[in-house]
Amino acid sequence: MASVPPEAPERPMLETAGAAAVSPRRRRGWVRSLDVAIPAGVLALVLGACFLWPIVASIPPPTGGDVLESNLPPLSPGHVLGTDPVGNDILSRLLHGGQASIQIAVAVQGIGLVLGGSLGAFAAYVGGILDAVIMRCLDVLIAFPSLVLALAIAQSLGPSKVNTIWALTFFSIPAIARISRAATLRLREQPFMVAARLSGTKMWRVLVRHIAPNILPQLVTFGLLGMGIIIILEGALSFLGLGVPPPAPSWGNMIFIGQQSISAYPRLVLMPCAFLFVTVLSFNLLGEALRARWSAQ
Amino acid sequence: MSTSTPALGADRRVSHGLARALRSPSLRLIGRRLAAAIPVLWGVTLLTFLVLNIMPGSAAQQLLGADATPEQVRQLEAELNLDQPAWVRYWEWLQGVVTGDLGNSIASGQPVTTIIGQRLPVSVELVLCAIIVSLAFTVPLALMAARRPNGIVDRLSMVLSMTGLSIANYVFALVLVVVFAVIFPVLPAIGFVPLSDGLLGNLRSLILPAIAIGFPLFCFYTRFLRGDLVEQMRGEDYVVTAKAKGVGPWRVLIRHAFRNSLFGLLTIVGLNLGTLIGATVIIEQIFALPGIGQELLQAINNRDAVVVQAIVLLLAVVVVVANLITDLLYAVLDPRIRYGQRSA
Amino acid sequence: MSTYGAPHSAAASVSGDGSRPSPSTTMPLLEVRDLWVRFRQGDRQVWAVNGLSYELFGGQTLAIIGESGSGKTVSSRALMGLLPETATVTGSARFDGEELLGLSDQEMRQHRGADLAMVFQDPTRSLNPTMRVGNQITEAIRTHLPLDRRAARERAIELLRLVRLPSPRQRFFEYPHQLSGGMRQRVMIAIALAADPKLLIADEATSSLDVTTQAQIMELLLDLQGQLGMALIMISHDLGLAASFADEVIVMYAGRAVERASTHQLFAHVRMPYTEALLEAIPRIERPSHSPLPVTPGRPPDLTTLPVGCPFEPRCSRARDTCRETSPPFEEQEPGHWWACWYPCDDGGSG
Ligand SMILES: Nc1ncnc2c1ncn2[C@@H]1O[C@H](COP(=O)(O)OP(=O)(O)O)[C@@H](O)[C@H]1O
Ligand SMILES: [Mg+2]
Repeated sequence: MASVPPEAPERPMLETAGAAAVSPRRRRGWVRSLDVAIPAGVLALVLGACFLWPIVASIPPPTGGDVLESNLPPLSPGHVLGTDPVGNDILSRLLHGGQASIQIAVAVQGIGLVLGGSLGAFAAYVGGILDAVIMRCLDVLIAFPSLVLALAIAQSLGPSKVNTIWALTFFSIPAIARISRAATLRLREQPFMVAARLSGTKMWRVLVRHIAPNILPQLVTFGLLGMGIIIILEGALSFLGLGVPPPAPSWGNMIFIGQQSISAYPRLVLMPCAFLFVTVLSFNLLGEALRARWSAQ
Repeated sequence: MSTSTPALGADRRVSHGLARALRSPSLRLIGRRLAAAIPVLWGVTLLTFLVLNIMPGSAAQQLLGADATPEQVRQLEAELNLDQPAWVRYWEWLQGVVTGDLGNSIASGQPVTTIIGQRLPVSVELVLCAIIVSLAFTVPLALMAARRPNGIVDRLSMVLSMTGLSIANYVFALVLVVVFAVIFPVLPAIGFVPLSDGLLGNLRSLILPAIAIGFPLFCFYTRFLRGDLVEQMRGEDYVVTAKAKGVGPWRVLIRHAFRNSLFGLLTIVGLNLGTLIGATVIIEQIFALPGIGQELLQAINNRDAVVVQAIVLLLAVVVVVANLITDLLYAVLDPRIRYGQRSA
Repeated sequence: MSTYGAPHSAAASVSGDGSRPSPSTTMPLLEVRDLWVRFRQGDRQVWAVNGLSYELFGGQTLAIIGESGSGKTVSSRALMGLLPETATVTGSARFDGEELLGLSDQEMRQHRGADLAMVFQDPTRSLNPTMRVGNQITEAIRTHLPLDRRAARERAIELLRLVRLPSPRQRFFEYPHQLSGGMRQRVMIAIALAADPKLLIADEATSSLDVTTQAQIMELLLDLQGQLGMALIMISHDLGLAASFADEVIVMYAGRAVERASTHQLFAHVRMPYTEALLEAIPRIERPSHSPLPVTPGRPPDLTTLPVGCPFEPRCSRARDTCRETSPPFEEQEPGHWWACWYPCDDGGSG
């Protein structure tokens, strides 16, 4: 038997590998946190501007401006971004409009999360005919050209902020219900769930105690991903005159109003467009980064 | 329902494939899908009817204006058959649909089929242009991106597609208008030149709207195709086989990966048609194109339930049929399905 | 060293020229030296192949045996440059005197398919489902040989005949889904033979097939090897297979060779306890073949860290303190017999 000491080359290789592994890991971690930090930071900035700025700083009201002050260029005294054709401060309108857009999106996704989430979990949990019927109804909603439905509902109810929310929940509820159903189905066969079922725990108890905490993180991520779409749709409704009714501002109706004088004052369109784009992009990037984390785990 | 044989082209290979497909289980699947689509379509009409009729407000009031007397409104409602209970009207409408009669517009009195006949071609041309142009850009870009994942082209394509997916189509359309019609007035901002007035003018009037619809579409397709190609190049065994033959990287990408991605791309194009309809409503509004989307918006604002119902049904049918055609094309084109799975 | 396995007489080559350069007895066709492969996986490294060395002479059959995950596939794909970009390959692999590792993709392509060819485990996934099988063969032919379409087709049909696919002219136009598993593997072999390779690597080429087909494909491979005079690397987790067909056997564990000898010598004197365990696990009739091998209790080691001692130690019945402390070297401890073990089995291993 050869009693040779262990080969020499193996040690150094291990060490170099260890040393090499340290710096990329640190850099990768740093870069990786950027993909969440940047969009989250931009979002915080937008949210802070929309919701806090009008409170802490004194800015002109978004409506009831003085016609004598109409169409002021940006950087005019008292009006940083200028005024619109009826003399309203554009910055103020942008910030208040952002409030409206974001409030609506949060409400829509919130309602979707509660109603859609429980509908999907319930359907998956009971299964059978009830499940099939619920899913068919959701199919109908999803097969429906969705913007058309929202338009019809908004028109029937009359344009208002609350009605816009209800019209848009017709998007979020079926979408979230589907995700929730799929997630619940996956859970259903887990041992602890089977045990809960067999031990005769009441259905609502299982849903609340076992299913909800498990599927919620996934649903919230999905809801976050959908925020961008809802903001775009709210803008579309307002843009088509069926969302937030003027003179109250929303990014969508600002774009709509600005479009009428687009050749004279393109900035009236471009500024709300820019806000809308940056916000939606941040939501999408954040949702994307979170989803990447999820799938990596 | 499942035995209906669409006459597709006279090409022998296609009809041969079709004949085989007819015997294959995939056709039965399509038949089942069609049968499942009918309740969905019915549900769509019911939902539209509910939304349009249960909610407060009336078309007659809308037509006559705010200062009409209740007497006038009631009279017009009787004329328009609006005084009957909702379910009676729905039943009559449904009977009409089955016999091919979509009724007359409440607002203009014109037959709905005539209106659709005038408006539909504009929208179809717009959407087709948008799809074709976006695919023409998607394929080369996705191939270049997938050739070197995380390379420069790939990163650019990712940034581009994230941008495109985050930009609302009305935002993009208005930016286009500002750039190409206001700052550099080279293209018409609004209006439509029919094909009968010359192809060039027709296309010029469609360029901006087609780009406005096509750019997000291009981003969506690119994202899908790039992802699918990269996944295949990384994970599929037949790609390794091709490389092991000594085949060059471009050839592997195009002849092997892309060939297989084509089916997925086709499905994406078909499935995405539904979303495009929403886009046409807005884009036709911005560019003042007399298409079906503009008509729909007008009808919704006029509470012209007959027109809205007809258009919604039409759109839902388009979505369902597009999905079916996607499946059928799959059956004709994909050898796996064309010849059925023969396990020996 | 190479006293066994004289090159088979080259009976008939497909291309008609039966005179390939006769394998040199002094220079191996393939010489692998200290091959290391590691993968980047997130923040960690997977040490898939750790210092593998062997050589193979023209016309010979080498069997590489080991449990799933022991690095057989990775080590052979490394030779052809077919590993993903996350892989780092070091060491040397000389083919016909030319260094393969470190070649650019462009240069490597001249060898792939032409000098070295590979047959994979799963013929269903390894054939492009959307291409006619004929075109998949002619693609390989025309990549390396200056033939026009018609000549390539004729050659492809001839290849299909060579791999004993029934009615080759008709099969040429069919899609992979119209063929059975065994027929698909025959097509894969035809693809591999397209440009008359000098070395064929069959990576578990029969593992996904049923027992009868398995035997047929194995037989076909060996017949072809004899006919065409190529060298064959047969990768398998089944030591029984090696026993019946190979000239030489390398047993791999955790990315390294743990025992290597001529087939005859190995089965006469098994030294490594791991090989012995493999030997005891050779499929018996009553056991469904290719059920995962219950070789010996325990699982192969985690490859994200290199063990200090012998990698097989946790599962080894003969393990002692030495085994935990230092890794045994892989050395030629008897003429023509290499192993890596501090306390090898004595003679008397089943023959
Ligand atoms: N692309 C890869 N990334 C990370 N690890 C890999 C990769 N490919 C293979 N491995 C690892 O390398 C080891 C050897 O794999 P392989 O050569 O396929 O084993 P086998 O002997 O079964 O063919 C396994 O542990 C496997 O997990
Ligand atoms: Mg393997």
